[in-house]
Amino acid sequence: MTAVTVRMPRTRELSPRWEVFMLRLGAGLVLLGLWEGLVTWLSPSYITRPSGIARVFWEVVSNRSTPLTQLSGSFWFDVQTTLVAVFEGLAIGVTLGVIVGLAMGRLATVEWALKYYVGALFAMPVIAILPLMTLWFGYTSTARLWIVVIGAFLPVALNVYEGVRKLPVTYLEVARTYHARWWNVWFGIALPASLPYLLAGLRLAAGRALVAAVVAEYLLAIKGLGFFIRSDTQSFHQNQAMVAVIMLALIGIAINTTIDAATRHFLPWFRREGR
Amino acid sequence: MSVSFDRLRGPLIALLSLAAGAALWQYLGTTIPKTEFVGFTATISSLWDLITNGELFTALKESMEVFAIGLAISFVIGFFGGLLMARLPRLRIALEPYVAAFYAMPGVALIPFILALFGFLVKAKVIVVVLFGIWPILINTLEGARSVNPELLEVAKSYRSNERRLWLHVIIPYTLPYAMTGVRQSIARCLVGMIAAEFLLSSSGLGDLIIRNTERFQTGNVLATVLVIMILATILIGIGRALENYFARWRAGE
Repeated sequence: MTAVTVRMPRTRELSPRWEVFMLRLGAGLVLLGLWEGLVTWLSPSYITRPSGIARVFWEVVSNRSTPLTQLSGSFWFDVQTTLVAVFEGLAIGVTLGVIVGLAMGRLATVEWALKYYVGALFAMPVIAILPLMTLWFGYTSTARLWIVVIGAFLPVALNVYEGVRKLPVTYLEVARTYHARWWNVWFGIALPASLPYLLAGLRLAAGRALVAAVVAEYLLAIKGLGFFIRSDTQSFHQNQAMVAVIMLALIGIAINTTIDAATRHFLPWFRREGR
Repeated sequence: MSVSFDRLRGPLIALLSLAAGAALWQYLGTTIPKTEFVGFTATISSLWDLITNGELFTALKESMEVFAIGLAISFVIGFFGGLLMARLPRLRIALEPYVAAFYAMPGVALIPFILALFGFLVKAKVIVVVLFGIWPILINTLEGARSVNPELLEVAKSYRSNERRLWLHVIIPYTLPYAMTGVRQSIARCLVGMIAAEFLLSSSGLGDLIIRNTERFQTGNVLATVLVIMILATILIGIGRALENYFARWRAGE
């Protein structure tokens, strides 16, 4: 045993994690400080700032209704309303998207018949048709549901379509050799093989669904976090409204993290490409 | 013969499908009240009216101004911010979670606050567009600049490249294709920001055209404007894709 093993000092092993945490905490404090300072210095007192949010935070999340929240229901009720609308729309939109995407990927006729429609609608900001929805369904939660469904449907349909198109030919040849039925090919081969694309589409769909729901609530004045934000900002209760924004951010982050974790867990070989 | 027919089959189906769509549109126009839906030909004639009386052109100009300035600012901040974060690992580590949070959150929720801070100025709308568009560019640039092949850097260093040249000749050219992927993603998001800002801030541009005509039940004008937005979005995203492909050729050699 002549070899000398150079031993790293223990702190060296410990530091990176600790350092990362401290860096991030520090950056967060600096950002909050900048926000607080700039707003105090430059803006009128009703503009939201961290100290104000901290002051009203518990009041809002403990659901104690202020005269204003009576307008829009209570905080958790609004959270629930928005979440239910988003997940309902996602469920319908994703199901339809998977079916249409599979059909477009497997059947040339369907592909050619639909690809320009789906492509053009996907490119368009979905909220642009929200006023049209109000003409059809009124200022109701049905209009919100439709806009969320459309927002969720398009990215999933396009992504699944792309995934199925890139299906390796060998898979199909094997399937043909074993006399697989069409439903075996669609749901047993094409769908699992395009799962990474489906998950990438789902990530996009969830973001779009959330945006669509919030804009619909805001614009149509129907219950939910969007309306909570609207009524509180319009009555100079910005700090309360900011709690709802933080909630929305947390929902967005939670959805993304869940989908990313699912991708890593089920498809460790897949590296998400930008889409 | 059969080969050429096979090649024609797809486009033919697409044409047929578009024609069927227009026919269905026309038919629905005759059965649904005019305040809710109008037929294809009525929509086209509304579109023609909007073109000839100049309303569409004005709206397009207003919208595109907000969009273009917003996208340009997003690119400048996103690109240089991404490079800076790639160069300074501590800065990257410190800011990463906050960038991810802003990217994941629905930016529309911040519009009322921007309204309170900046009022009804054009500036406010541009800020909304930037808020939507900056993140994909920043994140893609950062990813690109971090993935520069170390061999390239070593070669450059062994030829005694200084820091400035290293950036100008190696890192920035290497990163641009990634940034362009970001731009392509950002175009779609900026369009959403543009419409949302025009709906929720002072109404102007294409968003205003939709809202105003919806309130007056001028459904033909609403449908015509939606059609214009759809075409515009398809063209802009097509340009984004073309840019991305053009710069992607640089990446092909790696």
